[in-house]
Amino acid sequence: MATVTEKERGAQTHPDVRKYAEVNTDILQMLSRPGKWWWILLGMSIAGIGLLAFSWGNQIINGIGLSGLNSPVGWGAYITTFVFWVGIAHSGTLISAILFLFRARWRQSIYRAAEAMTVFAVMTAGLFPLIHLGRVWHAYWLFPYPNQRLLWPNFRSPLVWDVFAVSTYFTVSSLFFLLGLIPDIAAARDQTQKGTLRNRFYHLLSFGWRGTDRQWHHFAKAYLLLAALATPLVLSVHSVVSWDFAMAIVPGWHATIFAPYFVAGAIFSGVAMVITLMVPIRKVFRLEKYLTIRHFDAMAKLCLVTGLIVFYAYLTEFFMAWYSGEDPERRVFWNRLFGHYWWATWIMLTCNGMIPILLWFKRVRHSIPALFVITIFINIGMWFERYVIIVTSLSHEYMPFAWAVYRPSFTEMGIVIGTFGWFAFWFLLFIRLLPPVAISEIKEVLPPPMRPKRRTKEEVSS
Amino acid sequence: MSEGIKRRDFLKVLGVTGAGAGLVGCSTDRVEKLMPYVTPPEDITPGVATWYSTACGECSAGCGVWVKSMDGRAIKLEGNPNHPISGGALCARGHSSLQALYNPDRVTQPMQRNGDEFEPIDWETAEGILTNAIQDAGSATRFLSGRVGPSLSALMDEVVAEIGGERVEYEALSEAPLREAVRIAFGRDEVPHFDFESADLILSFGADFIETWLSPVEHMRGFARSSGVDDTDGSKTRFVFLGSRLNLTGQNADDWYPIRPGSEGAVALALANALVQRGADAGPYNSIVQGYSLSAAAEQAGIPQDSLEELVDHLSAAEAPLILGPGVAGQHRNATASNLAAMVLNAVSGAIGSTVHFDQSLTGAATRPYSELFGLIEEMAGGSVQALVLHGTNPAYSLPPAAGFREAIEGVGFKVAIVSQMDETAELADLVLPDRHYLESWGDSNPRPGLWTVQQPAMRPVPHFDSRPCGDLLLSLASRLGADLGAETFHDYVRNRWSDLHADAGSPVGTFDVFWRQVLRDGMAELPTDAAAQVSLQSPDRALTFDAPALDGDEDGHVLVVYPSSRFGDGSGANRPWLQELPDPVSKIAWHSWVEIHPDTASEMGVRKGDIVRLRSPHGEVELPVFTYPGVRADTVAVAMGSGHESYGRYAEGKGVNPMRLLPAEQEQPSGALVHLATRVEVEPTGRHRRLATIEGSDQTYDRPIAPAVALAELGQGHGDDHGGYDLQELQAMGGFVPVPTEGRPQDYPLPGAQYGDYDPAENARWSMAIDLDKCTGCSACVTACQAENNVANVGEDQIMMGRDLHWIRMERYYETVDATAPGPVDVRFVPMMCQHCGNAPCEPVCPVYAAYHTPDGLNGQIYNRCVGTRYCANNCPYKVRVFNWYGFSDVPEPMNWQYNPDVTVRSEGVMEKCSFCVQRIRQVENRATVEGRDVRDGEVVPACQQSCPAEAIVFGNIRDPESRVAQVVENERTYRVLDVLINTQPAVNYLRKVTFHPVDDIHV
Repeated sequence: MATVTEKERGAQTHPDVRKYAEVNTDILQMLSRPGKWWWILLGMSIAGIGLLAFSWGNQIINGIGLSGLNSPVGWGAYITTFVFWVGIAHSGTLISAILFLFRARWRQSIYRAAEAMTVFAVMTAGLFPLIHLGRVWHAYWLFPYPNQRLLWPNFRSPLVWDVFAVSTYFTVSSLFFLLGLIPDIAAARDQTQKGTLRNRFYHLLSFGWRGTDRQWHHFAKAYLLLAALATPLVLSVHSVVSWDFAMAIVPGWHATIFAPYFVAGAIFSGVAMVITLMVPIRKVFRLEKYLTIRHFDAMAKLCLVTGLIVFYAYLTEFFMAWYSGEDPERRVFWNRLFGHYWWATWIMLTCNGMIPILLWFKRVRHSIPALFVITIFINIGMWFERYVIIVTSLSHEYMPFAWAVYRPSFTEMGIVIGTFGWFAFWFLLFIRLLPPVAISEIKEVLPPPMRPKRRTKEEVSS
Repeated sequence: MSEGIKRRDFLKVLGVTGAGAGLVGCSTDRVEKLMPYVTPPEDITPGVATWYSTACGECSAGCGVWVKSMDGRAIKLEGNPNHPISGGALCARGHSSLQALYNPDRVTQPMQRNGDEFEPIDWETAEGILTNAIQDAGSATRFLSGRVGPSLSALMDEVVAEIGGERVEYEALSEAPLREAVRIAFGRDEVPHFDFESADLILSFGADFIETWLSPVEHMRGFARSSGVDDTDGSKTRFVFLGSRLNLTGQNADDWYPIRPGSEGAVALALANALVQRGADAGPYNSIVQGYSLSAAAEQAGIPQDSLEELVDHLSAAEAPLILGPGVAGQHRNATASNLAAMVLNAVSGAIGSTVHFDQSLTGAATRPYSELFGLIEEMAGGSVQALVLHGTNPAYSLPPAAGFREAIEGVGFKVAIVSQMDETAELADLVLPDRHYLESWGDSNPRPGLWTVQQPAMRPVPHFDSRPCGDLLLSLASRLGADLGAETFHDYVRNRWSDLHADAGSPVGTFDVFWRQVLRDGMAELPTDAAAQVSLQSPDRALTFDAPALDGDEDGHVLVVYPSSRFGDGSGANRPWLQELPDPVSKIAWHSWVEIHPDTASEMGVRKGDIVRLRSPHGEVELPVFTYPGVRADTVAVAMGSGHESYGRYAEGKGVNPMRLLPAEQEQPSGALVHLATRVEVEPTGRHRRLATIEGSDQTYDRPIAPAVALAELGQGHGDDHGGYDLQELQAMGGFVPVPTEGRPQDYPLPGAQYGDYDPAENARWSMAIDLDKCTGCSACVTACQAENNVANVGEDQIMMGRDLHWIRMERYYETVDATAPGPVDVRFVPMMCQHCGNAPCEPVCPVYAAYHTPDGLNGQIYNRCVGTRYCANNCPYKVRVFNWYGFSDVPEPMNWQYNPDVTVRSEGVMEKCSFCVQRIRQVENRATVEGRDVRDGEVVPACQQSCPAEAIVFGNIRDPESRVAQVVENERTYRVLDVLINTQPAVNYLRKVTFHPVDDIHV
């Protein structure tokens, strides 16, 4: 059997794309005048930001007591949503960096949007450590800045690790994002009229890209370097986030499985979110040629694998709780299943454990509507996973007399919903301002344009 | 290169600071004149506390207290350690006096009624109105007062005599039946002293002697001393509780006989009869007791007979038994008879003289019967009362509406209320005269023969309130009426009376001035008395029935127990947020009322905890949320008094329900007391539900190493601090996974491998606490003491409901054995849970900003102004003792903030706080020791909780010093540390297991 070259494989992923020029036209048309629905969605997202600003402002003025948090449940919806967004942030870098390094050629048409999602998700997640503070005006004390009193943050605290992990991740993933954009922005620049605002914006971001050999050479080097740099972050960031919990001695948190479990969960939720976002984009912008069933199939498989890891981790947690023989540990998990928060746990198990089983079936993986619905369930399930881990554990700790129930307040819900607006706002701007599909990289995997083969004399004569 | 400041830099700095100074100087809108504190008053040193001795005025016990005054403000009350009643301790209600003193809802000036409103007037006008009205009324004047000290009482009597009217006293919580029973039994019209400390068997037929009954603090001390196991000889007094509802006192019992309400008389007499049959003598009651057999009593009480026989065995074996009657909650229609039966049992079992003493009778006890007020109400309703002076009592609230007090008082032409805070009764007055709080005024108390306590003002009157002491007002009234009572001010009046006392006692200590100075310093004087100790049973001078009393209401209904609240007493404590916020020691509910229903009954009715039910008696109905309580009989429901005020300031109004509405206004015969246990109620679910404002999560320990107990029989058999056979394993910090067995003695904490910052265990003390859970009664005095000392804020009902209480001590209460169906052991475990100051603290490493850290002297510090509020420390605290300021809870209305302890930071919004081991007290002692050039002495540092504990259950000190008391107490096989074996936190708080008479499952700790 003949070996299949990369180019041929690329041709297989995008069989309907014929010409390089077609790619430019198809992708850059996305940046043209937005339609009514885009404006409506943007308006909704700005309303969400308004809700966020109002709720948060109100909380800053009146006190963190506006949340539903209490003793012993000191963390609730805020940290849940923080972990949720950090998790979402993971697939972007996974798809762009790790799959790049592994030469998985189905990444080209999705990685740009996934990367953008990463950056915006980190921006969203980064709000929550601030939101949940009792005295947000002193948040800068968590940074190791020089001061007269020689006060440093406590480097033993996982929260300080968090500060570094998330800020590093944000820096690297946005650099990676912006770097990859350069050739495509240059393409967009070349299509816009000189002197317009848009042109100047592209001019700025394309860093004088002219597409010379020399530039391509440096670009490829830099891209590879950043990909290598970003790869360990995919694993480390969510490991660090998981240690916020695993380093504590709270029953239900204190488990060595947390780092891999959280990383798998992050990729699971991130890929699910990519699918959720790509389905409408594909439909609205008619990108069926670029986002083929094969892409969705590959992402669904990734979802399935990580989903199975996550479900295995659930089972391991329950097993270890039983196996530990310690009542506090056992009761926390019993309480998860049958206690006050049973519904959250069962949402989690259903959405993350049962529903993804459907992805075993090729027919499901190849059905875009089915994938859309399933991934929405996964997103819901993954939010509840964090809710279950955080809230059920804290509410049922060592001292039974201090057990208590936490109910999220309206302020918390407002903020959580508001951050979806905040995320959507950036994402909506992105799909209209920056090429959401990597033009240059798709071209890399297309069959190179060739002149039609000249007919030989024999052919002519015959 | 030249070092130092360059010319240019100097000029720059000068320019900037100059401009800055100019800006700052210009920005002041208002110029305030500041006066330096150059010549302070003689007795005030800024920052140094002054202590005054006085008498607590909260209940009739008459505890001597010390008032801590800083910069002229009273900031804390502590028991006077030399006073024989308080013995240095104080209950939660005593602590809360400060919040009555600084209550923002106190009456600010004299007020006169104008239609439905009150309008402010000045004192001159007010006294004029008062004088005229009383002159007009003459002998149709009535004084209605509550319990007052002997001097004020004498003054009132003199004034009343001058006017020609009459004086009526009314106390809502009155032990009139007890006093009447004692009179019938022994011919002594008084309440004897009950000696709990000497008792070797205690039987209570319901008396809540550590909550509200007579002298709770003194009782608790004695009870804890006898009921707490003696580690030297293993002796322990058995306490048997007989009653239909376990109150807090009952929760401390060893056995519970859940007898039917009203069967106390029959049971006590049957026990006496059984003792007589074994050779004891009931004197003139021999014939009466013969009519009471154990079988009939068991039948009436609804318990098996053999359990009563067991009780007889205990009684006949006891050398110094003590038997107590039913208390206020058990005042049914035959309450005097029930008390008499208890007294007879005392006499038969040999308690008289050994535990019941008549030479120290409780002269101050609240024993005035309701019948006096009943007469006055009839008079008022008849229109023969023209002027009524009200002081220190609130019958409009504390009487059942059926008594008709509100209706009757309308027939009185002129009503004047001398009160410090408006209440339901003062609302009915025509003239309201603001009274001083007892901490601002003179007075005295005489709690028992020969023991005189002086009540001296601990501070100048709170300037927000233009108040006058009742005594001064009465003297002024008398002089306006043309009488000379020999004193200008009440201070003189009290002095004169004490001068007479001094002279009568044979002028001890020299001249009166010397004696008086000593009295003011000591707070009391013990003068010789001639009270006779010898009493004997006398034949009853009237016929009494000892049978179960009649109850109103439907036979199928549930018996309603209305009991005095250990927090609010008769309701007078309800205006203090500390008491409202203090979780009830039994139900753990704060701020609102509840009805206690047995879980089986509740499930029969289909109601759960928090469901709102309607209680309907023939006299009224109320709606209350259900608290399912295994400590109440299935045929009984119970509601606490003291809540449900309509007018008593912002902290009391609308909080809870007043159960007196369900009761008839009936007098018990022959004592004339108000009947409290009078009716059955129908319990009807309303279908509504509410979240209880409770701090209780679960009432079970799930066999976790939290509150283990040990059976008395097992003591001394080497079940020591063996960690259940496990060695403590310590993972070396950097050494990988090599468990290193360590010696687990608390003296050696923190152990190698633990993380404890800059603490140098070799150099510094290891502050440590030991709490004897065999003594702890769960009374929660420590909780309020801690609030007072440490400026712990109140959060209110809504916040408690959300689980946001701020108390630094959580009095945990776990049910081990509570069975209302049959007599048997009762086992309720209390664990006062505060910061354990772990040697290996989980809270410390997780704080990102070092707000939670280990101080160099080994405490778990919490730096409030460094805290950013991540709450990670609280999440990681296995004891859940860290509490968070969700809002700015410390902003309290003026002058409530005058109470704040200036030595302790007032916490702002968004920061974590917790028990500090009263670090300010440690510092103070250390500083004093440094100044005096010596080491800190053992016992010198006394945290507020230990100081307040009436049960003397808490010991504090440097555990590293083998001579210290705490080190010696901890050397005990009962010692354990909560959760320590589970998570290796190496706490500094050591608990000593509760000791039970019944066998307990041995939890390895």
